[in-house]
Amino acid sequence: MNHKPSADEKFIIPIGPQHPALKEPGHFEFSVDGEIVTGATVRLGYAHRGIEKATEERSWQQNAYILERICGICSHIHATAYTIGVERLAGVTISPRANTIRTLVAELERVHSHMLWWGVAAHEGGFDTLFMYTWRDRETIMDILENLSGNRVNYSANLLGGVKFDIDQKQVDMIRKGIDFLEERTHYYYQVITTDETFLGRTENIGTMTREQAESLGSVGPTARASGVERDIRVNAPYAAYTDFLIKMITDTAGDLKARFVVRLKELFESYRLIREMLDNLPEGELVVRVPRRIPEGETISRVEAPRGELFYYLASKGGDKPERIKVRTPTLPNWSSVLSVIVGHKLADVPMMLVGIDPCFSCNDRMITLQRKDNSDVWTWAKLRQYGIDYYK
Amino acid sequence: MNTLTTFLNLLIFPGGLFLLIISTVYEWVDRKLVARYQNRVGPRWFQPVADIVKLLAKEEIIPNGVRAELFIGLPAVALAAILASALYTPMFGLQPAFSFRGDLIVVLYLLSAMTLSLGLAGANTIDRFSLIGATRTLTQLFSYEAPFLLALLGPAIVAGTWQINEINAYTGTHLWILITQPVGFLVALIGLMGKLELPPFDAPEAETEIVSGALTEYSGRGLALFRIGKDIELVIGLTLISTFYLGGLSNPLWFVLKTGVLLVVVAGLQSLFARLRIDQTVGLWWRIGALLALFQLLAIIVLRLVL
Repeated sequence: MNHKPSADEKFIIPIGPQHPALKEPGHFEFSVDGEIVTGATVRLGYAHRGIEKATEERSWQQNAYILERICGICSHIHATAYTIGVERLAGVTISPRANTIRTLVAELERVHSHMLWWGVAAHEGGFDTLFMYTWRDRETIMDILENLSGNRVNYSANLLGGVKFDIDQKQVDMIRKGIDFLEERTHYYYQVITTDETFLGRTENIGTMTREQAESLGSVGPTARASGVERDIRVNAPYAAYTDFLIKMITDTAGDLKARFVVRLKELFESYRLIREMLDNLPEGELVVRVPRRIPEGETISRVEAPRGELFYYLASKGGDKPERIKVRTPTLPNWSSVLSVIVGHKLADVPMMLVGIDPCFSCNDRMITLQRKDNSDVWTWAKLRQYGIDYYK
Repeated sequence: MNTLTTFLNLLIFPGGLFLLIISTVYEWVDRKLVARYQNRVGPRWFQPVADIVKLLAKEEIIPNGVRAELFIGLPAVALAAILASALYTPMFGLQPAFSFRGDLIVVLYLLSAMTLSLGLAGANTIDRFSLIGATRTLTQLFSYEAPFLLALLGPAIVAGTWQINEINAYTGTHLWILITQPVGFLVALIGLMGKLELPPFDAPEAETEIVSGALTEYSGRGLALFRIGKDIELVIGLTLISTFYLGGLSNPLWFVLKTGVLLVVVAGLQSLFARLRIDQTVGLWWRIGALLALFQLLAIIVLRLVL
């Protein structure tokens, strides 16, 4: 009260941890000059769940389930990255049919994730009609996934050594029908996002990131591809069934928000094509092959293309029935820097759309917290760590 | 006897109770229509009443750093201004309760007083979202106010009077002004949406950026009063536009039909567009809206001189 601001003091708009623009907790501070953003900082870690540590206490088989729950939107791809890694460590080759079903679910998941994203992005831009329409149509893909796996979100399609469910002819027909409908709708949405004047006013030339910036900031996924960086694990280092079913990399040169919309929507057309191709050429084979309970000693890296970009898993085994170490890097983490460096100079009204533009997933990337130690001790006792936690959240 | 009629006018019809009821009905229709356009179910018929009752029953929290008397007074001033302006409009297709020469200007002034109070209420707090919201509210006020005024002056000049009652009588007996001045109609309708901060002109209360704009710190009674004020402003705005452009309001049936059709159009416009940034709103009004309205006004004046 009665606070007299000094000349060098900044007017800071706090966004989060609780804010209507955020669906998950994160804290952003934007210093503004009128409507223009002059600086941005981010503080994450509100949804840290300690999953990496938890995996060290569980068996290899159990971990597939807990890792799938890292992300509620791209759950399948987490389990895929993990199972591919474990199978490589165990020296197991899974059947082509299991591989194809795994990839098929991954592509269906990409469709649902991208549709969810552009709905949310439209909502951030105040275009609620597009948001509602998109999410209504997205139900098609949710129904398909539920029919296949019994779940809408965490499908648990992956097992170590294969997949859990088969796809029969009836389901193939159902997926085809759903995909046909969605393709038609996606064409319509593509037309909306590339021609609607008010929407273009909010996306064109907003948040432009050049190719050089994208490369030096280490952006991944559609965010990088919208800036012309050719970075797609499905093409660069094919895994699962992407070796047999080739996908075309979609890039755009504009680097602005509109380009990110365009890239993601065009990716959907590729996904639809690939899904149809996989359904047409579903190979025969066993669903599951046996994977030993104890995984031989070794370490491996597993990279897959999540809907948001490159998902990176590091797995280390000491030969036991539990992993020695699992390290996950989700695509949101490398993408944050791109937002925070590009956002300066934009208007406050563009902030929510730019934040959402990378398709952030907060709880996914809240996996590591850097503790700033006041004294330079390297080892923290349990009591000290606990006290730090209490003070931190007080 | 005369005093009694005045009191009835102020408290029951067209002021007071009647406005409260009809504004909740219009709010419900608006919300339901937008919801249906957006493929949602929408609220039940009593939802606006329930919202207001709930807000009125809640504790009003006065935050630190505000001038309490302004914080409490401004919602009342806003509502009073809106209620007063209703007395000069042909509410429900009946004769206005009061009428004098130049009451059009008074009504427009009272409608702006509502927005001004909103801006002041936001600027009164030290909340950062409120401050940005207040700045945007007032910026928006300066952008749509002039075109909106010009758009309503068009019919007034044609009718040769600045008295709403007489304009109503004129438009009721002549060709709909919508046909002769379509540009003015468009500017007036979109100006009304800007006034009410409806999408796509909802930058002052863009929830994904500044939570609830100028009203972020308001709760309970104050928020309820502002909401009632806005709902009534919607009814008055629709009444004015149908009086001026849709051939006047001579009876309740025409009132319901004409304002109803306008409401359908307004709800459609709300769901068609993405939110405009505040700089885009200002640009739109001064580059296009004001020029169009001005051009139309000049055309009317020239035509009147020639004919």
